[in-house]
Amino acid sequence: MLLNYIKIAWKVLLRHPFYTFITLFGISLTLTVLMVLTSFLDHIFGTHYPENKRFRSLYITSVTYTDSSRTTRSQGPASFRFLTQYAKSLKTPERVAISSMFGYTNAYVNGKRIKLNTKYTDADFWYVMDFEFLEGKPYNQQNIDNGDHVIVITDALRKQYFEDDGKPVIGRNVEIESIHYKVIGVVKGSPATRIYTYSDVYFPYTAPKSNYQSAGLRGNYIGIVLARNESDLPAIQKEFDSGIRKIPLPIVDFEQKYPVLIVQADKYLDHFLNALLRDDSLKNRFIFYSIAGFVLLMFMGLPAINLINVNVSRILERASEIGVRKAFGAPSKALLWQFIIENVFITFLGGFFALGLSFAIIQIINASGWIAYADLTINVSVFLVSMLVCLFFGLLSGVLPAFRMSRLRIAEALKV
Amino acid sequence: MLRHLFKLIWNKKGAHSLLIIEIWASFMVLFGVLSLIAFNLNNYLEPIGFEYKDVWVLDLSTNQDTVNLPEKSLRIMQRIRSYPEVISASRTSANTPFSANQMSNSSTYNKVSVSHDFYVTDEDFSKTLDLPLRKGRWYEESDISARFIPIVINKKMEDKLFANENPLGKLIKENDTLSYKIVGVVDKYKAKGEFMTDNPALFKMLKKEDWDRNVLIKVKPGTDANFEARLVKDIAAMTDQWGIEVSYLSESRKNRQNLTVIPVVIFLVICGFLLTNVALGLFGILNLNIAKRKNEIGLRRAMGATEGNVTTQFLGEIWVLATFSLIIGLIFAVQFPLMHVFDLNSEIYITAILASITVIYIIVTLCAWLPSRQASLIHPALALHED
Repeated sequence: MLLNYIKIAWKVLLRHPFYTFITLFGISLTLTVLMVLTSFLDHIFGTHYPENKRFRSLYITSVTYTDSSRTTRSQGPASFRFLTQYAKSLKTPERVAISSMFGYTNAYVNGKRIKLNTKYTDADFWYVMDFEFLEGKPYNQQNIDNGDHVIVITDALRKQYFEDDGKPVIGRNVEIESIHYKVIGVVKGSPATRIYTYSDVYFPYTAPKSNYQSAGLRGNYIGIVLARNESDLPAIQKEFDSGIRKIPLPIVDFEQKYPVLIVQADKYLDHFLNALLRDDSLKNRFIFYSIAGFVLLMFMGLPAINLINVNVSRILERASEIGVRKAFGAPSKALLWQFIIENVFITFLGGFFALGLSFAIIQIINASGWIAYADLTINVSVFLVSMLVCLFFGLLSGVLPAFRMSRLRIAEALKV
Repeated sequence: MLRHLFKLIWNKKGAHSLLIIEIWASFMVLFGVLSLIAFNLNNYLEPIGFEYKDVWVLDLSTNQDTVNLPEKSLRIMQRIRSYPEVISASRTSANTPFSANQMSNSSTYNKVSVSHDFYVTDEDFSKTLDLPLRKGRWYEESDISARFIPIVINKKMEDKLFANENPLGKLIKENDTLSYKIVGVVDKYKAKGEFMTDNPALFKMLKKEDWDRNVLIKVKPGTDANFEARLVKDIAAMTDQWGIEVSYLSESRKNRQNLTVIPVVIFLVICGFLLTNVALGLFGILNLNIAKRKNEIGLRRAMGATEGNVTTQFLGEIWVLATFSLIIGLIFAVQFPLMHVFDLNSEIYITAILASITVIYIIVTLCAWLPSRQASLIHPALALHED
């Protein structure tokens, strides 16, 4: 019976290729947009290389001085000294990594300029991050204590700087701003969207020009706190907050007094949302949310309305078919099943196309070099949820009118 | 005619309500995307006001070095100017052209206060960036006085503060203790590139003895990375603890542009797909609806209506329907210019509204034209015969 219904559905689809195309186009387009979008969000906020432990990490990225009414404020990354004192000393976490925000410099080889992103880190950075070492190893505490001029570079820089000569690069020198650094390791690079780990060159923090000596709470460093497991995160936040509360207030910075200090250890997504929403007034925030919600509703709603419209107009076409089936004794239930299966069939077909299409788009984005080292993937759960939504609208628009029609009297249905 | 069309549509309002919602939703999406485009295009059409070609930015970070900074920077500047490849060099604050840094403040003249961007630069700035002056001249070392800081403003700022007066020589106040004296007016300076709005701007003098971290260097055309490497090496030799980074304005301009262009392109592509979707759907629905009214068409044709008459009737119906939806859409859309949402110029919203209306009419006309044309070509005898 099921096979029979699918056969009928297939024939119905083939009878009007144009309408089939419209329906499929709508379903697969909506699903594709949704999936590419979520895979982007997942790329930015999810747990991926090299931050494979992001789900059990907390990020300390900004120190804010302000007053109780939030009129004046001064905000930026933390100082190395502050992070050592208040984050490194925490008891609950497994490890705490400290690294600088990205800096820029240039290296010159054979009349060619190479733009470099730089980062200064401590030894624990390599423990907290799961970098894949293609050659050599990371620098350790001993390198840092000795103030060795050693660096870890990415495979992309190895290719650019050593011009792909095939020989191992460990122990060779890279000249940056007239200082020679010895390459100690080569890692597989990470996408630039992982802003706290992305770099071309990693220096131990005792290398020149790292500014780890800066006094005060603010500086150029961020901390990543790794918990033993996810359930420890609230306890770590509590411990960190109680440490922060002991800092004497007000804070004096550039001859200005700030009575309020805000430093938080947040999960990755939370710290982004906090940064985005922190300084906007409530009214602006409301306007922002309502407009964003409206835009999303419109973008998602339009294909849904279109699907409903096409389905509703087409149902009249099937009236005589329903009439004939009823005349030969088919109960309403059988008709209902037929239409449900038909709709499920076409939705699955659309979903199948969408899957292929999003896969192709994601591959193109990954290969285009638009984001270096992009590793976008398809999120299966999002795909399934959006399929369900499509199914809902398909059933609403295709099955409901058909069901109503199946309850018509045979004579009337046949007449249409 | 119009009343008749209205009656026809009103009689089938249930069936048409979904169509109205669809056209309304398309209008809203189109309005949003076109507002974004109109805003950016509006900015893009205004020139940036300066020349970025062959200009490099030197970013010097002093790191832990805190001794004799002005003296060191003076020596560095002398060194930079001594190269034959360098045409001109100027020290500026960190908000160099196309950078992400922004500095703003507000100043008052005659109790009129205006908030503006400000740039701290030395006397060679206009030469380095080829920034022409409308009135007066760029400030010089001799303009310095104990009572005020010499400044140059842009035209937008002049318009806001000085209606008919000549701004040259006037004093404006930042606060009770700090005044500026205007010595010149430039036309435009859109530091963030083509897509930036032309905001009020003010340039204040960076004195010889003050330290700021950036240097703009205009080099001779064709100067390459070999010179750049030499420059970095020489400066690094003078200051062993400092960090030095060189970037080209033409490169940072491209990065800056992408920040605006990429989201617009993404929205445009999605909107294009959505509208194609809607257009196809509309075409299908109209095709079915018109095909269903074959005997009506046959009757009209038999009564002497021409092919053109029939086509016009169907087109007229869809236009009335579209007008209905657009009126509902306008009720929403006019709120944007009325309430000054996002603080944009109302002209931008009005342009977007007009453009969206045009696009919607074009889409519905295209979708209705082919089916109604086909319907009108049916021979009356055939159409009437069917029933």
